[in-house]
Amino acid sequence: MEQRAVMEQQTVDAHVIEACRQGDREAFRLLFETYKDRVFSIAVYSLGGDRNAAGDVAQQVFLKLMTTITQFRGNAEFTTWLYRMVVNVCIDEQRRQRRFFPFGDLEPMSRVEDRRPQEKHYARLEIADSVKAAIAELKPKFRLPILLKYIEELSYEEIAQVLGCSKGTVASRLNRGHKALAKRLAHLRGQIVLGD
Amino acid sequence: MFSKHVRKELSAYCHGELAPEESRRVAEHLIGCPRCRAEFEEVKLGVKLAEQMPQIAAPDSLWTDLQSLLAAQTDQVKVAGRDRSRFGILFQPSFAVTAAAIVLAIGFGIFWLYRSEARPFWEVARIGGSPRIGSARIGDKGKLTLGQWLETDGDSRARIEVGNIGQVEIDPNTRVRLLQTSPTEHRLELARGRMSARIWAPPRLFFVDTPSGVAADLGCAYTLEVDDAGGSLLRVTSGWVALQLRDRESMVPAGAACATRVGIGPGTPYFEDASESFRAALTKLDFEAKATDSKNGALDVLLSESRVRDTLALWHLLARLDAKDRARVYDAMAALVPPPSGVTRDGVLQLNEQMLQTWKDSLEKSWSGDSALRKAWIKVWTRGLGKIRGWQGKR
Repeated sequence: MEQRAVMEQQTVDAHVIEACRQGDREAFRLLFETYKDRVFSIAVYSLGGDRNAAGDVAQQVFLKLMTTITQFRGNAEFTTWLYRMVVNVCIDEQRRQRRFFPFGDLEPMSRVEDRRPQEKHYARLEIADSVKAAIAELKPKFRLPILLKYIEELSYEEIAQVLGCSKGTVASRLNRGHKALAKRLAHLRGQIVLGD
Repeated sequence: MFSKHVRKELSAYCHGELAPEESRRVAEHLIGCPRCRAEFEEVKLGVKLAEQMPQIAAPDSLWTDLQSLLAAQTDQVKVAGRDRSRFGILFQPSFAVTAAAIVLAIGFGIFWLYRSEARPFWEVARIGGSPRIGSARIGDKGKLTLGQWLETDGDSRARIEVGNIGQVEIDPNTRVRLLQTSPTEHRLELARGRMSARIWAPPRLFFVDTPSGVAADLGCAYTLEVDDAGGSLLRVTSGWVALQLRDRESMVPAGAACATRVGIGPGTPYFEDASESFRAALTKLDFEAKATDSKNGALDVLLSESRVRDTLALWHLLARLDAKDRARVYDAMAALVPPPSGVTRDGVLQLNEQMLQTWKDSLEKSWSGDSALRKAWIKVWTRGLGKIRGWQGKR
């Protein structure tokens, strides 16, 4: 996680963002490559696994990003600003759909690309599949903090800024989200190494 | 030992989000409180499970799709630039009159464009069946936002309100996407199927991208159909439409049609009442004939079947044929409508832009019923729009 944060800092820094603001297409491509999978993941999980709708959402997000990046004044973290946009577009899309699809409607697991090499093991994929389904069943107010924490790797403070709530609320929702996951997937306890 | 329970702090404790003092308090409490410890085990399992959640790779097509949206915006600037050079020679008033007219057009343009704030969506009304926006079916009404697809199946039809400048009807089995909506540009992508547009705004505000060209409205009504191979057929019922792909452009007036093909762009526009053999010869010349004999044969048919108003097709062919065939086309055109003064055979054969434009201006009377006033209005508006876009670009 820390390694990823360092890499991100090296690739997308203030200069890249400034270049994007000046309309530099290459800089925007760099920004896109850095965040595309995370934006897409949030959208997929938020929209119950509908990859087509998630693609539309991701497209809207990057289009908005490109057209409004001139308004980004650096008075907030860029990631906070970006993920607030992602969350808002996802919420709009959810409202528009007025329903959530169960993960059962998803394409088969074998077609879902997994970016973490260690998770390519079959058993791990099974666990990941179960986790995805359980996350899809969470209420949005518990699901969003979990997505921002585990997909975007944001701190509680950053999650609070993205969601426009207090740090305490984030802690409380994550607590309840974790407990809901544990309850639904209690049968996997034996397969998960808990440690201390 | 009897400190406050720590159930609410357990996730923050697991994530290292607590201050050191607070973290130590939680740890100490967990040692002595079986109830909180049991809950801690549950939260810890939840954390470990959430950590298994994989990141999902975005599809490769995402960047390509995004690029097409970005390219659409870039094209807009190029098209605006080209307008000023190609269609500006409808007439030549004095400098003072032009300047005054441009000021008026800009004033009117600003009034027209900003009288209502551009909305980031278009309203969609269901005409029949179950049209979909994205993956969701719309009820009687829906909203199409930037980047979203509107799709109809075999039984569905829909109508789109294009901001405050016109309407587009979407036929069955059609897929369109909103690429841009702003006071100075409204742009749709037609991926497949058929749409009919009625635009009552001034020219060059509404564009439709297809896989084989861009249709630019010049104040008109038309239908546009895209087949599975990406080719399209434009049929104009009033006004004018410009079809473009890179440097290739066809101007299509009311009553005329024009096909496009992927990789080639717009073919030659023709009037739909032209003879069947004329139209077949044109298709062969535009998209099929590669061998010289076949080309010559098609050109023979075309020239022998041409009427005065078919100079629409012949004029477009002048710049698309080689020197030898261009000379044949010139002679046929000159026999039908002698060129105006100042336009010479040599000049046209050398593709002198001014001469081509002068001849086109005099031929337009036989192509469309546009009045001189309307032509002047189009010219002034187009210049004004170019200036407004220029200002927007600088902001």
